[in-house]
Amino acid sequence: MLRVRELTMRYPNGKLALARFSLTVAAGELVVVLGGNGSGKTTLLRCVTRMLDPTAGEVWLGDTDLVALSGERLRQARLPLAMVWQQANLVRRRSVLANVASGSLGRHGGLWTALGGLPAEELDDAYAHLDAVGLAALAGQRAGTLSGGQAQRVAIARALAQRPQVLLADEPVASLDPKAAGEIMRLLRRLATTENLAVLCVLHQVEMAYEYADRVVGIRDGGIVFDLPSRDLPRDAVRQLYLSEAA
Amino acid sequence: MNLDAAAPRLAERGWSGAFALALRLTLLLALILIVLQSALVVHARPQDLITGVYGMADIIRRATPPDFSAIDKIWWPTLETLDIAIFGTVGGVILALPLAILAAENVTPSRALYYLARGLIGFCRSVPDLVWALLFVTAVGLGPFPGALALSVHSIGMLGRLFAETIEHMEMAPIDALSLTGARRTQVFTHGVVPSVLPSLLGITLYRLDENIRSSLVLGFVGAGGIGFELLSAMSLFQYRLVSLYLIVTFVLVIAAERLSALVRARLG
Repeated sequence: MLRVRELTMRYPNGKLALARFSLTVAAGELVVVLGGNGSGKTTLLRCVTRMLDPTAGEVWLGDTDLVALSGERLRQARLPLAMVWQQANLVRRRSVLANVASGSLGRHGGLWTALGGLPAEELDDAYAHLDAVGLAALAGQRAGTLSGGQAQRVAIARALAQRPQVLLADEPVASLDPKAAGEIMRLLRRLATTENLAVLCVLHQVEMAYEYADRVVGIRDGGIVFDLPSRDLPRDAVRQLYLSEAA
Repeated sequence: MNLDAAAPRLAERGWSGAFALALRLTLLLALILIVLQSALVVHARPQDLITGVYGMADIIRRATPPDFSAIDKIWWPTLETLDIAIFGTVGGVILALPLAILAAENVTPSRALYYLARGLIGFCRSVPDLVWALLFVTAVGLGPFPGALALSVHSIGMLGRLFAETIEHMEMAPIDALSLTGARRTQVFTHGVVPSVLPSLLGITLYRLDENIRSSLVLGFVGAGGIGFELLSAMSLFQYRLVSLYLIVTFVLVIAAERLSALVRARLG
């Protein structure tokens, strides 16, 4: 579903953040990317979403190379690609349901949504997505009143309202307590399986990678160190990945 | 400047204690000279305050008790004053909001529009509302309308700057997240930017309304209607008991507007 080919990113200061990085995430698969600070994990996600323009390479979403597009065509092509961030990044003063429904805005043009209205036909779906993340009871509550774990689940519901085929997650549990972090990872795992989503998740929590991922990709200096099914991943390989950072 | 704090800093830089002390004394002397020259320029005559006490006492004697029998004449100018402020504020908001969007670095669609909007906002703000009122009185004649126009234009300057700063300081991560869902630019603005900054903008607007009520009182002095105009007329005719009534109404109006504005802003916060 998501194919990254020979992706290279060199920042204006000369730092090579990604070096001919290639990766495929199939539908229904949860792939975790592990790596130390500055290894290129976040740059990878930013290049995939085109928040950053890669220096070279391709990002295929289905049959479309996102790197070749810009403007309105990029916006349209990127609709099946949803993202969950380290922070939930909800609009705090809007209701939980409004935040979730806003994930569907990309499919709706017109004056009503341009003036701040929510597409009425999407509200039932938004509610169902909230229910799927276990927060239907909080639909009318202001997003700013939620706990970190609840907010992150709402962010996932918003991503689902986008009707994505690929879900990217940038350290989605980094600011959560272990219980909430486990809930989020179980949710991502379930979505990959039941919704047939291709999930690419950047993590720092090695144990979670072992527990929830189908595959684990190790990244160092912008290149792949290993790409293995989680059950085949030697502990030593992970240790080396982080040891080299410490050195 | 905190002179005591400045001395150790100078010492840290290796300056001698005597030099630091001399510098402190020079700064102190400079401050005293600045204050003295201001007293000279404004022809400050404290003795006149003492001799003027008799004049002030005479005015207060002639102004009391306030002429409450004229209370029925005061409703219309009071309403006029309030409406000048309301019209001025609403007009200011309508014109300031689009300019503020263009003048906010994080959402402006182009650099050229940013500088143009900033320039317009700066120009509206730099000309005092009293001067705008004089200009509009010349253009459209005496009455409340030039006062309302003057407050509108001056409010563009004040509101435009504060609105733009509010937009610039808002948290951008939720806006970026919404953009990435595929929402269009206008949708990101109405679903992300507006809900995030609306309470702050409303608070600023209420504060401006409160300021405009005070300003609209003064604008009457240059012929722009309201209580100010009536106050000036009463003073010209030496009707001091009527003047004191107008002053009481002004006081009540200003305090009421201030309290109401503070109350609503506190609830918005």
